[in-house]
Amino acid sequence: MSTVNPSARPVGRMAVLGQRWRHLDRSYWVWLLAIAVLAILVINPLARLLIVSFQDGETGAFTLANYLSAYGRTRHIDALVNSLILGVSAASLCLIFGVPMAWALSRTDMPFKGLIWISILGTFIIPPYLGAVGWILLAGPNAGWLNRLYMALTGAESGLFNIYTMPGLVLVVACYSFPYVFVFTKSALDLVSSEMEDAANILGAGNMRTTLLITLPLVLPAIIGAFILVFLEAIALFGSPALLALPGRFHVVTTQLWQFFEYPPRVGVAAAYAMPLLGITILLFWLQRQITSRRGYVALTGKGGERRPVALGVWRWPMLGFCLAVCTLSFFMPLTVIVQAALSKAWGQGFTLSNFTLDNLYFTMFENTLTRNATINTFVYAGAASFIAILLALTIAYAVNRELVGKRLGNTLSFLTMAPFVIPGIVLAIGFYAAYSSPPFMLYGTAWILILAFATRFLPIAFANSNAAIRSINPELEDAVRILGGSRFTAIWRVVMPLLKRSLAGAFILVFIPATRELSTAIFLYSINTQVLSVLLFDKSDEGNFEMLAAIGLILVFITVTMILIGFRLMGRDFMLRRTAA
Amino acid sequence: MKKSHFRTLLAPLCVALGLSAAPFGASAQMAPWEAALYEAAKKEKEFTVYTAHYNTEEMARICAAFDAKYPGVKCNFVRTTAQVAFQRLQQDMKSNVAVASVFSSTDTSHYTALRKDGAIIQYKPNNLDKMVDSLKEYNDPENYSTVTAAALMLITYNTSLVSEQDAPKNWPDLLDPKWKNKVSIGHPAFSGYVGTWVVLMRKLYGWDYFEKLEKNSPQIGRSVNDTVTMLNAKERWVAAGPEATTLLSRDKGNPLAVVYPTDGALLMVSPSSVLAKAPSPNAGKLFIEFMLDKEAAEVQVKTHSLSVIKGIATGPGKKPLEAIKVARPTADEIAKGIPEVKEQFRDTFGI
Repeated sequence: MSTVNPSARPVGRMAVLGQRWRHLDRSYWVWLLAIAVLAILVINPLARLLIVSFQDGETGAFTLANYLSAYGRTRHIDALVNSLILGVSAASLCLIFGVPMAWALSRTDMPFKGLIWISILGTFIIPPYLGAVGWILLAGPNAGWLNRLYMALTGAESGLFNIYTMPGLVLVVACYSFPYVFVFTKSALDLVSSEMEDAANILGAGNMRTTLLITLPLVLPAIIGAFILVFLEAIALFGSPALLALPGRFHVVTTQLWQFFEYPPRVGVAAAYAMPLLGITILLFWLQRQITSRRGYVALTGKGGERRPVALGVWRWPMLGFCLAVCTLSFFMPLTVIVQAALSKAWGQGFTLSNFTLDNLYFTMFENTLTRNATINTFVYAGAASFIAILLALTIAYAVNRELVGKRLGNTLSFLTMAPFVIPGIVLAIGFYAAYSSPPFMLYGTAWILILAFATRFLPIAFANSNAAIRSINPELEDAVRILGGSRFTAIWRVVMPLLKRSLAGAFILVFIPATRELSTAIFLYSINTQVLSVLLFDKSDEGNFEMLAAIGLILVFITVTMILIGFRLMGRDFMLRRTAA
Repeated sequence: MKKSHFRTLLAPLCVALGLSAAPFGASAQMAPWEAALYEAAKKEKEFTVYTAHYNTEEMARICAAFDAKYPGVKCNFVRTTAQVAFQRLQQDMKSNVAVASVFSSTDTSHYTALRKDGAIIQYKPNNLDKMVDSLKEYNDPENYSTVTAAALMLITYNTSLVSEQDAPKNWPDLLDPKWKNKVSIGHPAFSGYVGTWVVLMRKLYGWDYFEKLEKNSPQIGRSVNDTVTMLNAKERWVAAGPEATTLLSRDKGNPLAVVYPTDGALLMVSPSSVLAKAPSPNAGKLFIEFMLDKEAAEVQVKTHSLSVIKGIATGPGKKPLEAIKVARPTADEIAKGIPEVKEQFRDTFGI
């Protein structure tokens, strides 16, 4: 990229500068700014973490003792292995759940798409630990509703399901993570035009063959990106493993990590124990690059292209059945349990009319100023964090993909943008705290530390999404603008952004929703005036007050769904993220 | 507004009763030390408590009662679990940000550590005489901390699954094979209550107690309050659980009941300290005094916590502290024992 137009004539100094300024690609400064922000959000906290892992807790002297205590126990190694099993299994199950559903909603004429989409949205909003509690009530080995039903039907002595096992944990984690895979795959599929499928059809391939050999491979980068994301999410979760793994008598990295924060807290050991997660992230990105760098995935070119749904014929109904089955597992059944508890005086009494009440909801919404303020804070912070994360992610993804920065720097930037995801929230919070609680960045106690921490934590999601989206756009579209004399900003603003609108709406959902339910960073960084709902929910679970917990959870789901629906209306497109204008 | 009403009503009342009307309504009834502390606190305007003692609603009520009693001094609080409260305080101290004036943890080892760092100050409350006698021994002898909350851990059960006669009567009853797959407990690494309970059981019955309990395959949650959820879900029938949370859930109509074990319910006492770097030290001291007075105690008994002071009527269907056989390991046994039993527990139960 040439930024300066070499001038042959010797002219005055000012004139040269002026000319340079006119010809300088001003977008350059934007990339520099993005890198600076990344340094603040990611590099600084990560560097602190790395340093702490080699420091003696008392004296601050260099030591390897933290690594010895982190890996000196078989119990600790077992937990790492369990986390890997959990991550790989949950991520695989997410693909099984999410990819067919994304294809069905994006490319086929399956009926009831709206219902399925709302259910997936709802699934995504339910905080994973609330979903886990729902699943305990459904598949608890002694009294789970499903087990009681099974025993009543078959007369068996004991139930069929036990949620307190690794498969149980994998199911619950997959249920609350597959929406990532769904949204990623769907937004990529939405960009693939039917022409390529038509070509395959003309050459004699059936729908099935076309989908497997043409359509899905085209969106492979999105699927791989989502797989990595879900894998990382699964190994960084704390709530569900704490509820399910402990009674099932096994540990994962996060429950083990928690114990390093017992008194006296061993932050150094925790940091050392978190390092392999960073290593795994690097490895995954390297693998992703190996797989996707060999082919081209550009689906969106300047040559138009039409998108027609694939006619499924009678297969519409089995496909719908599959989608409903997944939504039943992830949304309908747990939601029933949550609604029952939220509307009960005493949820232990089960379904009776005398047990019905609206008091929990009323109290939460109108009488309790704490929940009201926390609700407002939650949505304001999540909104601000999403905006920052997407803006930054998009800038970096664009700079990297259009090679506006060197290749090596580009790789480093990609890695740094994805790195926050593997750091368990609790560790990220400590890093953030260490970095931003003293001058010159005195943010502790303000809303900004929460907003920036949320933005950092979900930056990887925004980036993975933006990256896949930008990759699918052929640079020739922008080249056309540049050739016709438009600046890079004109190209981005007038061409790239409109093309990305749908992907960005998807990215916004993917960042906004997890930010509304984010617990692990919030719990260390909130203060009196910056209370958020996730912390309140966690307090309620700690207080054994399940009626209130369910009521707050229900309100969270309701408000978020409403806001997203209204948001899409305002943005001039329907909630299915369908294109309203060509 | 409330305050001014109160003052305008109070003044004629005082006159009518022949009392000298003092310039500051409520301070009319205050002892000189209290009035002086209140005046000093008013200059500080507000203060913050980091607390793990109560749930959010109860703490909000306590703060509201404080604001009503001492207008002009605003009570703020951050309610978390004990470990998180301590971690936050450490964060504050490391970055020289003084937010909290009072620290209220349920983990007594936090106070030992804070004292070592010179982070808490000595303060002997004037209201100390009002404290229930059996609790006085748990105050710090050098007045670095004062007991401001007390609660019990005992045997709990689901009344729709277990009859009163069949319910366990003492701790070893939980080992009966008839409770196989039916017991629920918490984890000592996640809960200070459970940690202290494990130390007490080990002291009373040896580690053998947990070897036998393991044979009954208890369900292990995190917090002691998880047992309430497990009983309500009918996933488990009996539990080693908390008195207050269980009774609060029962009040709503859930089928729960508590048994005061014949060999002693575990008494949990939780102290509070004024911090050395408190932004509002006088308000902090005033809050400690307030916690040892009847307004705070009345809020506490309403939510099934125990009153730490004498002469407060208990809630319905509940025994007063004086009438319950309680047991508690010594401070040393707890401080030394908890790290040990965490390891033993992990060896026996595998987590």
